[in-house]
Amino acid sequence: MAEYRAIRVEKGSGGFGGPLTIQGTEQRNKVMYITGGGVAPEILEKIVELSGLEPVNGFKTSCPEDQLALVIIDCGGTLRCGLYPKKRIPTININPVGKAGPLAQFIKEDIYVSGVTNANISLADASAAPAQEAPAQEAEAPAEEKKGIDTSKKLSEQMAESGNASVLAKIGLGAGKVVATFNQAARDAVQTCIGTLLPFMAFVSMLIGIINGTGFGTFFSTLLQPLLGNIFGLLVLGIVCSIPGLSAILGPGAVISQILGSIMGAEIAAGRISPHLALVGLFALNCHAACDFIPVGLGLAEAETETVEVGVVSVMYSRFITSWIRILLAIVFSIGLYAAA
Amino acid sequence: MDFLVKFASAFMSVFQAGGENFVSWVTGIIPTILMLLVMMNAVIALIGDERIEVIARVCTSNPILRYAVLPWVSAFMLGNPMALSMGKFMPEFYKPSYYAAASYHCHTNSGIFPHINPSEIMIYLGIAQGLTSLGLDSTPLALRYMLVGFIANFISGWATDFTTAFVQKQQGIKLSKELKTRA
Repeated sequence: MAEYRAIRVEKGSGGFGGPLTIQGTEQRNKVMYITGGGVAPEILEKIVELSGLEPVNGFKTSCPEDQLALVIIDCGGTLRCGLYPKKRIPTININPVGKAGPLAQFIKEDIYVSGVTNANISLADASAAPAQEAPAQEAEAPAEEKKGIDTSKKLSEQMAESGNASVLAKIGLGAGKVVATFNQAARDAVQTCIGTLLPFMAFVSMLIGIINGTGFGTFFSTLLQPLLGNIFGLLVLGIVCSIPGLSAILGPGAVISQILGSIMGAEIAAGRISPHLALVGLFALNCHAACDFIPVGLGLAEAETETVEVGVVSVMYSRFITSWIRILLAIVFSIGLYAAA
Repeated sequence: MDFLVKFASAFMSVFQAGGENFVSWVTGIIPTILMLLVMMNAVIALIGDERIEVIARVCTSNPILRYAVLPWVSAFMLGNPMALSMGKFMPEFYKPSYYAAASYHCHTNSGIFPHINPSEIMIYLGIAQGLTSLGLDSTPLALRYMLVGFIANFISGWATDFTTAFVQKQQGIKLSKELKTRA
């Protein structure tokens, strides 16, 4: 009987979920692939070789669910990608698709991984040597005997039987992947709009409503006019906002910058601030950008503790030192910008 | 009674004004941004993160590549905040400087490429919307924002080399300028 080894599957470029560790047992010893109309995916061979699982073509036969150790799919984000996670069967999607489709709530990191390529698959225990025998080949052999076109069967069935992808099937799979990628891109984009853009717009719109609707606006703009309405005001604003310490407090989510930007825009629209100042405004309002985020950002760059200690202070200093240079550059490069207006 | 009616209508007009503003943003901003986001998300997914890492390793050698080219490419490809993670290919000493440049790049390039920083885009969009409602084209602003940013962010990144050296002396810590060889 074949020996089963645990494999580790990580998400690929643009993928979601994982890493999964898959270990076959006597009972659960099959990997079912439901991809490209029955064409074995590129990653199948490596999975079979490393794990010792027996491959099953889901387009040809079915397999009792309690024998499945793993399912490989190429779903573009409709039903299939949620079906097996729902049954709590580990699922690999070779397309980079995240939580999507009607069963999206079942797609979780611990049971689903997507965008997987050969590079993302490895033995869970790296020290274990790859198997000498290849138990998989026996299982696949019978399917590969029949070749050529059989008129009595559907093309997809024949593709399933031929075992490896023909040129046509490859084009089809490639197109499928591009479409799935775009589809996922659209899903992410809509999520971004709903999750971050719309709430912010609603929040600031209400503020603007209060400012404009109450007549507070005229008061407010006389208050901000000296700061937002001329070059020196913007310069002062930028330098003040980037004072070390203060810059870290003003930073989070760029909320204050975004509100000021929106107000400045509203003032430009109302004709109270010259459009000529737009570029200077952009730089002045954001001199303190990311000062609140330094430890996290350096953490993302895998910096050591001392680097973070030095970096936090250093970046705040440099923000302060360079803020006026940035604004002056913006002033110089504003020459000719919306000059006629 | 008159007073109550006046108060109520004034109260409602506040939210109507807000609503009108909201609708003008949703119809004026969201459609274009959405299409751009879809396209950019797809392009990035198709190119893949692995290739950018190759570029990152090459770019650590000199200041212009380090604080202008690499952060620009990283911001475009990875967006905020993952662009900051490319600093991991730098020697420890240069990580704060890379952070200083890359975090600015996540803002200055977002006028033309809103996918870089969609959650903080209103700094730019707020101002741009003001121009649009005056009938002006906001493209020159976006373009200048990026180009001036390219120069200014480089200066900000490079200046951080000096502040890091200063703070290092202040705190009595020495950070390595050598790139650690990675396994």
